[in-house]
Amino acid sequence: MRWIGTFTKIWAYAGISAVCAAVLFLFGYVFFQGAGIISVEFLTEAPKGLVLGEEGGIWPAITGSLCFTGTAMVLASVPAAASALYLVFYCRSQRLYQAIRLVIQCISGIPSIVLGLFAYSFLVRDLNLGRCIFSAGVALAVMILPFIEVRAEKAFREVPAELVRSSYSLGCSKLYTITRIVLPACRGELVSGIILGGCYAMGATAPMIFTGAVAYAAVPDSIFSPAMALPLHLYLLVAQGSTSMDTAYGTAFVMMAMILLSSLLATAYARRSQNRWKRS
Amino acid sequence: MRKKLDKIFAFFICGMTVFSILVLGFVIYFIVREALPLFSEVSVLDFLFGSRWMPVDYTGTVSFGIFNFIAATIAVSFTALALALGAGLGAAVFLAFVATERLRSFLYPFVDLLAGIPSVIYGFVGLQVLVKLFLKAGVPTGSCVLAAGILLAVMLLPFLVSSCCETMLKEKEKYELVACALGVSRWYAAATVILPASGRNILLSMILAIGRAMGETMAVMMVMGNANLFPRLLGKSESIASVIALEMGTAVYGSTHYHALYAAGMVLMLLLFLINGLIGLIRSRMEGETL
Repeated sequence: MRWIGTFTKIWAYAGISAVCAAVLFLFGYVFFQGAGIISVEFLTEAPKGLVLGEEGGIWPAITGSLCFTGTAMVLASVPAAASALYLVFYCRSQRLYQAIRLVIQCISGIPSIVLGLFAYSFLVRDLNLGRCIFSAGVALAVMILPFIEVRAEKAFREVPAELVRSSYSLGCSKLYTITRIVLPACRGELVSGIILGGCYAMGATAPMIFTGAVAYAAVPDSIFSPAMALPLHLYLLVAQGSTSMDTAYGTAFVMMAMILLSSLLATAYARRSQNRWKRS
Repeated sequence: MRKKLDKIFAFFICGMTVFSILVLGFVIYFIVREALPLFSEVSVLDFLFGSRWMPVDYTGTVSFGIFNFIAATIAVSFTALALALGAGLGAAVFLAFVATERLRSFLYPFVDLLAGIPSVIYGFVGLQVLVKLFLKAGVPTGSCVLAAGILLAVMLLPFLVSSCCETMLKEKEKYELVACALGVSRWYAAATVILPASGRNILLSMILAIGRAMGETMAVMMVMGNANLFPRLLGKSESIASVIALEMGTAVYGSTHYHALYAAGMVLMLLLFLINGLIGLIRSRMEGETL
């Protein structure tokens, strides 16, 4: 019967090495292949070439992606934070709490492509907005809403109950308690949650393929115009075949660097502003 | 005055919460509204179990059957889950039993980096590396269900590793001292006590992972070949999400094809609601037992 222990041991070591190898390989591959392509021109020019994107840069795609992400973050953060506040500080019935949780879990379960379908029929067609940053932003916002809500709720729950209760017992209203005690205490986690949600939205392609992202557009001037987006640009470059592989590697590099940097910054910010009751 | 503000704020919070809940209703309403017209032309059974998908009548008749797509979605998710469990559970055992607190606080975020990579990049790397490998190994064109499964498995890893490790750490705290006192070796205890004890929680994260895998679009679409065939491990196939992503751009607004794509989306959405309902059920039962 000793073999079962030995087997587990081997399995554990093999598992962790496989996982680490996958991480190292993916990052190493994209960074080594892509690093050589990056230049000032690549970052600041529009795509050019006989087959679009073969030459030139990706500036419109970078700005477009930032617009999509920004719209989604703005649209998602308020309802997400508000429902987290409701669940933690206002909701008194256990059953209602369970029901709302289930709804939020279901929203997070909707596949991103279906959110694209939703935004297409609702915003692009019914409201006649056409393909634009706003339409895709709504789809992305629905996608990251549960993501932000879960993080916000976790942060609110970690505020020590005695802190909140002392505030109430001093006669402070809920509004005062939330705006002066809870929100400042959770600022780090809230901001990092929203930024991480943004990173998630920035990499998503499926919801924006037919709702807002296009193959070529200038730098967007309003949120009701279509724009380019990094992930779709990468997909199209790959679909074009071998002639545009260099720029595809460059695009992947830029996208990964942007996402990685912002998520690292967000995590660092959350850690820096961590509260006294959690250190120790 | 202050009281009024407090009321307004409470009202705002409630309103926003209702709004978030309505979002789900909105999504369901619009998908179902666009999907239903299809069923006046194609019967539900033909749609779900037919395997011919001819949205445009180049060759006579049109036909909408998504059986192969459903099968492919399920096949690729389960392949991915099996592969991810193989590596992920091992890694979780390592993190829970071998790694020190310090090593763990380094490895956790390291593995989590995988979760930050967008799915297009997975697809891109998969196309450049995996598909080429499969091509060399003799699979025609290289695109196949297994390639998509491997990619998806890597995408599921960070989630599986962290959730399994968390459960195992909890169980370990409960049983480690007892096992030690009985003179059982660490690895034997891990294999025979702690792994089975965390079984139900692991099952829960497996179901969650399946849900995630099913909704994935880009990575799967880029390496699976996208041909309407019944999925075989080394053959091409096409998932529901890829059909929608690929054909939505060419479907005429209001045509049967357009409605069929929404119906496919609805099927996918229902599958995921089913999974989420199942998770809710298991979770509430588990809580009922521990109370």
